[in-house]
Amino acid sequence: MMRPHRTPLLILCMAAVGLLPLQSKAQDDPDISALLVANQMPDVVEKASNWRIFSEAAAGGGVLRSNASTQQSQRLSFDVQYDGTLAQGWRAILSDRLDINWPAQISGQNSINTVKEAYLIWQMQNDILLDAGRINVRNGVATGYNPTDFFRNGALRSIVSADPSSLKENRQGSVMLRAQKLWDGGSVTALFSPKLAEQANNASFSLDIGATNSQNRWLVALSQKMAEGWAPQFLLFKSEQLPTQIGMNLTTLVNDATVAYVEWSGGRSPSLLAQAYQQQGLYFPDTSAFRNRTSVGLTYTTENKISVTTELEYNGGALDQNKWDALQRGPLAIYGQYRNYLQTVQEAPTARAIFVYASWQDALLNHLDLSAMSRFDAVDSSRMSWLEARFHFSHAEFALQWQRNSGNRLSDYGVATKMQSWQLMARYFF
Amino acid sequence: MKTIPLSLCSLFLCSLLASLSNAANAAQKPQEILAASDAVRNPDYPFGLTNTLVEYRSGKQTDTSTLAIYSKADSNSGQFRSLIRYVAPARDANKLILYSGKDLWFYDPSSKASIRMSPQQRLLGQASNGDVVTVNLAKDYQAITALEEDTQDGDRQIKHCYKLAMNASTPDATYHHIDMWIEVGNNHPVKARFYTESGKLLKTAYYRRYEKQLGIDRPTETVIIDGLDPSWVTVMRYSDLVKRDVPELWLQRDYLPRFKPE
Repeated sequence: MMRPHRTPLLILCMAAVGLLPLQSKAQDDPDISALLVANQMPDVVEKASNWRIFSEAAAGGGVLRSNASTQQSQRLSFDVQYDGTLAQGWRAILSDRLDINWPAQISGQNSINTVKEAYLIWQMQNDILLDAGRINVRNGVATGYNPTDFFRNGALRSIVSADPSSLKENRQGSVMLRAQKLWDGGSVTALFSPKLAEQANNASFSLDIGATNSQNRWLVALSQKMAEGWAPQFLLFKSEQLPTQIGMNLTTLVNDATVAYVEWSGGRSPSLLAQAYQQQGLYFPDTSAFRNRTSVGLTYTTENKISVTTELEYNGGALDQNKWDALQRGPLAIYGQYRNYLQTVQEAPTARAIFVYASWQDALLNHLDLSAMSRFDAVDSSRMSWLEARFHFSHAEFALQWQRNSGNRLSDYGVATKMQSWQLMARYFF
Repeated sequence: MKTIPLSLCSLFLCSLLASLSNAANAAQKPQEILAASDAVRNPDYPFGLTNTLVEYRSGKQTDTSTLAIYSKADSNSGQFRSLIRYVAPARDANKLILYSGKDLWFYDPSSKASIRMSPQQRLLGQASNGDVVTVNLAKDYQAITALEEDTQDGDRQIKHCYKLAMNASTPDATYHHIDMWIEVGNNHPVKARFYTESGKLLKTAYYRRYEKQLGIDRPTETVIIDGLDPSWVTVMRYSDLVKRDVPELWLQRDYLPRFKPE
């Protein structure tokens, strides 16, 4: 029951008859105003929902690199997420997104539906869980490049933003069986994702199982708390096409404002260029070697809620300066083949990159969030810059995004069809 | 006529009892008063509650969030560890935050990302992480003095209180020093002022709307007033306080994707 609150008039009366000591009243005056404001709070308590549904409309444009003309684009999206308990110990997860683009994306389809997740969880015991279905397994503590995100291959079906969080959210999971055993301070997860189809399917409403389940894969991940604040994760991953890869994730708190992280994976594998050839059934000399992939970063947060992440990225499977230069000077078809393959497996073409991401919550205005990102290819000095201003209400959001790709014609970012682009988005949560 | 001596006698007895009670309280050390006030704010067993936060600027509501909070005291440190689930707004629904000392993790079910946060990363506007989660102040602060004085409570009533001056005693403490008013006789926290090392007032908190919850009177609302801008006010209202099991299993990063309370 809400306790009745007295009016300012009553306070004045009390003060007048000496019930409030003058000194105390003077000291607490700002507090009294604030407490009166607090009395306005409605007595309503929101209840949790199993659903999250939103629609998004976007309109934008871009300057084409080929002829410097402007190309307009529009998009309408619907996103549904359900997470509910079906019966004691049984839980269902469903996540689906439909993007309708004008003009069509690279796949040639205007409508692209992505079944992001659809799976059942059976909690056998408090500490043992089994999952079956399409699951978006995403390992990794880094922000820009995740060497241990082994299940990103073929996961992107529709790209609506360059923001790393959007790329991680708007992707399809792999069909798999997964088991997890947890204990105080750690867990072990084992999963098997079978080969179910041969080829990706670009049809608008295809489940596109072939994009994510074109080979047998398994993964084992072990986490264990070693000391207060230290809980590394170790991973073993095996796919049909590559030898076993090992991985590790580790984070630590440097001070009250700084988090440091390192994410690493390594194992014998051919170079990415060799893999691109092999995927097309073309011969490429054996380039197998032990290759490291690493992301090392720091996130620093200022007192006024600005967070800046700086990340150094290394991919031992990608090309170094000489080989990258040679590829750019060679046949365009081979260059295109390499870039297409990298788009599917979500890897960078060159070995070294620097990633910076900054976000400012409640920037200048309440509810205005500003984000900025820069991806710098340290091999060919090309760069992608991205800015976003997002204003949010309780059910609606408005965002303005701008992106610029700069660099030589066939460089990492210089090859993008649009030199710069922008889009205005409105999102409504139901 | 017999009633007068009886009344006098009753008055005398009451005065005597009150004096004895005050004497007993006066014998309490400042740190014991602080610990007793912690016990008023927080049950000494695992519990769940709903925290509705509303933020006002210049008298107008500017933000609101609803959080489901599950807390349990750490058997070693005595400090609470909490798992927080966003209930509202819709854009944040089902996101999770794990607070375990300085070990902070944020989990977004949409991107499946578990992100480690530093204590300085705030997700809830004016309210600091330490304001939102359950905190036993006696574990992180050392009360130095306890002076008796009258002060106004959050309902603008005069309350006779101990004014506790306390300093941070562990690196986990959010504030450098705090002045806290605790009502004499029942250890109800009334208000607190939180300061930086340089003595700048960061915020003032009023603990009010006392209601019987899990056996004793507890504050069901905290009003936080910004130290620099008193027109910036955050109200945290607690509801659905229940004693419940919070397994150790829940309080780790790997459980975040699994968390689905009934």
